[in-house]
Amino acid sequence: MRYRSQSIAYWYFAIAMCLFGLQLVFGLLTASKYLGPDPLLDFLPFDKTKAIHTNLLIVWVLTGFMGATYYVVPEESRSEIYSVKLAYIQLVTWTLMGVTAIVGYMFGWTAGNKMLEQPFPLKIVIVIVMLMFLYNILMTIKRAGRWTVTEGVLVAGLGLAAVLYLPALIEYENYTVSIFYRWWTIHLWVEGVWEMIQGGLLAYLLIRLSGADREVMEKWLYVIVGLVFMAGILGTAHHYYWVGVPHYWLPIGGFFSALEPMALLGMAMYAYFAMRRAGFSHPNSLAVHWTIGSAVFTVFGAGLLGLAHTWPSVNKWTHGTLITAMHGHGAFYGAYAMTVMAMISYTLPHLTNDRKVEGNSLGYWAFWMQVMGMFGMTLSFGTAGIGQVYLERILGLGYLDTQLKLQVHFLMLIATASVFATGAALFIWNFFRTVPRSAATIDSSTSAPDLAPAGHASSAGSG
Amino acid sequence: MTKRQGRLFFIICTLVSATAFIGLTFDSHRRFPGLTNEDKLTPEIIRGKDVWHNSNCINCHTLLGEGGYYAPDLTKITQQRGTPYLTAFLKDPSQFYSEEKHRRLMPNPKLSDAEISEVIAFLDWVGHIDNQGWPPRPIIVSGTTIPGTDVGQPSTHTSVSTDPVAQGEALFRSSPPACGACHSIAPGVNLAGPTLAGLATRAAAIITSPEYKGEAKTSADYIRESITHPSVYLVPGATYSANNQSFMPDNFATDLEPRQIDSLVAYLETLK
Repeated sequence: MRYRSQSIAYWYFAIAMCLFGLQLVFGLLTASKYLGPDPLLDFLPFDKTKAIHTNLLIVWVLTGFMGATYYVVPEESRSEIYSVKLAYIQLVTWTLMGVTAIVGYMFGWTAGNKMLEQPFPLKIVIVIVMLMFLYNILMTIKRAGRWTVTEGVLVAGLGLAAVLYLPALIEYENYTVSIFYRWWTIHLWVEGVWEMIQGGLLAYLLIRLSGADREVMEKWLYVIVGLVFMAGILGTAHHYYWVGVPHYWLPIGGFFSALEPMALLGMAMYAYFAMRRAGFSHPNSLAVHWTIGSAVFTVFGAGLLGLAHTWPSVNKWTHGTLITAMHGHGAFYGAYAMTVMAMISYTLPHLTNDRKVEGNSLGYWAFWMQVMGMFGMTLSFGTAGIGQVYLERILGLGYLDTQLKLQVHFLMLIATASVFATGAALFIWNFFRTVPRSAATIDSSTSAPDLAPAGHASSAGSG
Repeated sequence: MTKRQGRLFFIICTLVSATAFIGLTFDSHRRFPGLTNEDKLTPEIIRGKDVWHNSNCINCHTLLGEGGYYAPDLTKITQQRGTPYLTAFLKDPSQFYSEEKHRRLMPNPKLSDAEISEVIAFLDWVGHIDNQGWPPRPIIVSGTTIPGTDVGQPSTHTSVSTDPVAQGEALFRSSPPACGACHSIAPGVNLAGPTLAGLATRAAAIITSPEYKGEAKTSADYIRESITHPSVYLVPGATYSANNQSFMPDNFATDLEPRQIDSLVAYLETLK
């Protein structure tokens, strides 16, 4: 850690870890309701626990992204953060918003729109927090007068994420139109600008961990983000097939969704070849695990499991079944949860005291239990989904009777989710095991050795 | 490739995709009113949409296939269940399903009568959106159509032959009218409606019983009357009727052609 204000990142990561833990509590609670009967039916039924589970995911991943940005930007722009105070005010406001939303959901205060359940006043708070964040970051870059492509992609991704949240603020009378724009936020986040954020963080990590040439890494970063947008923007169509849109969205969605895995495969190859060139020699091999793991799991969860059901003639049968839950879990975990954990694993030896750069066995257990647990969870949802499609959609068995026949898959889900949750608990415990380094004691000489040569930053406007 | 070319690739890909996407969005807006029957979007339906959102229905159910995957899809629910049934159901879902049997139950949404009627109007409007014919075959809420029943049979309108019984059977399985979504023809399998196994035999007994107040003189008459005027004779059971009104939709007299009703009667009369 070369800049004192990078220590802001620790507190963002700490909040992210708390919310991650809470997300899994609600995830396990939600999963147990598949087995039923539900003793909490009247207080915390499925709809509430599921909304809390998915909202916590979005909030903690975004918290992680913001923390990562507060760590990356000072290094890339070679400057302290513009306002440390504003960064902490932002974190407190953001956390209060998150907690209020969760408590609100428990008592039925919801906008009832999937993933965008935040009631209108909280949506406004989210916009304000994003503006505070972007102002702080952009002022840091402006004051420093220098920026790199890596941080440019990262910050542009976060800026666009804020812009794409705006359609969620508008009420639509026509339900089809409401769905149409809901995907502008959700799809263009997760299969567009969030991948831009992932790409930026991945490039940052790879340059640090592999010592790869920045010029080469940033050139390919452009290409990957280009591919992501080429496939991802029109790929939004795969959410439109059956909601009341013109027919042409079907072939468009089929074609561009099939291209989406190519962009993700490009990202994985990008990570692998960069690391192979360096011979995996960075001492923080735990961060290397998470970085490569994220790139590979993204191809599996977001790419392949997505492709498994985005072709229109397949989607006609799988739409609205547990097949979507299979893809959702694999994609969010691989692309986003793992990216944040890669950043945490890389930065933690710099942000906390008494921690070995190379990590400890707890860290590796946390990695492998999570990866295997999540792999098992996607298999559980996938097999349940295939069973559901066959029994309910093809044979015509009633919905409720079909679900009864899937109980064995739900048991498998809970078993693998428990493995995953144990891995996550180990990660969280490992995070809080040592105390954060106070900003006053920070000295650049304590930084772990990085393989990267000093960044070739562009001067403002020429990058 | 140089970094400059990489950047150019990124800019061109993004601009081309975004332009195409926005262009298609404009065209979609031009088509939405026709595809979604926007002219029928009344204030009651819009209030129903608010009820749908406020009750967080989407985090269990799916609508147009989007939602929580924990409860049945409701896209075509109003074509499968009439308003009286849905009204009674929304007042107290626990009457209609057993948590012990299905291991999950809908919590009581605690809606007022007005809200219930609004949300049903909303669901009915959604059910008529032109959504490329999805779902490809009816998604039913509960019940079994597997062993020895109607698995593998055609599920859409098909002119199987000129035989009225065969035509009636095909119509019974097609959607609409989706008779099979509520009635099984397997003995003892009662879905939202009673089983139709042995219907002709039962009909003969019903029309001679003192509880019967209708005008049917034959089994065929009774079956026809049950389709066109479902409330004339109420099959006993709290989940089949309330306030002397059957939960079966009463729109078939107008929505089906007389020829279709004839073939349905011909088919159902064979269930002895």
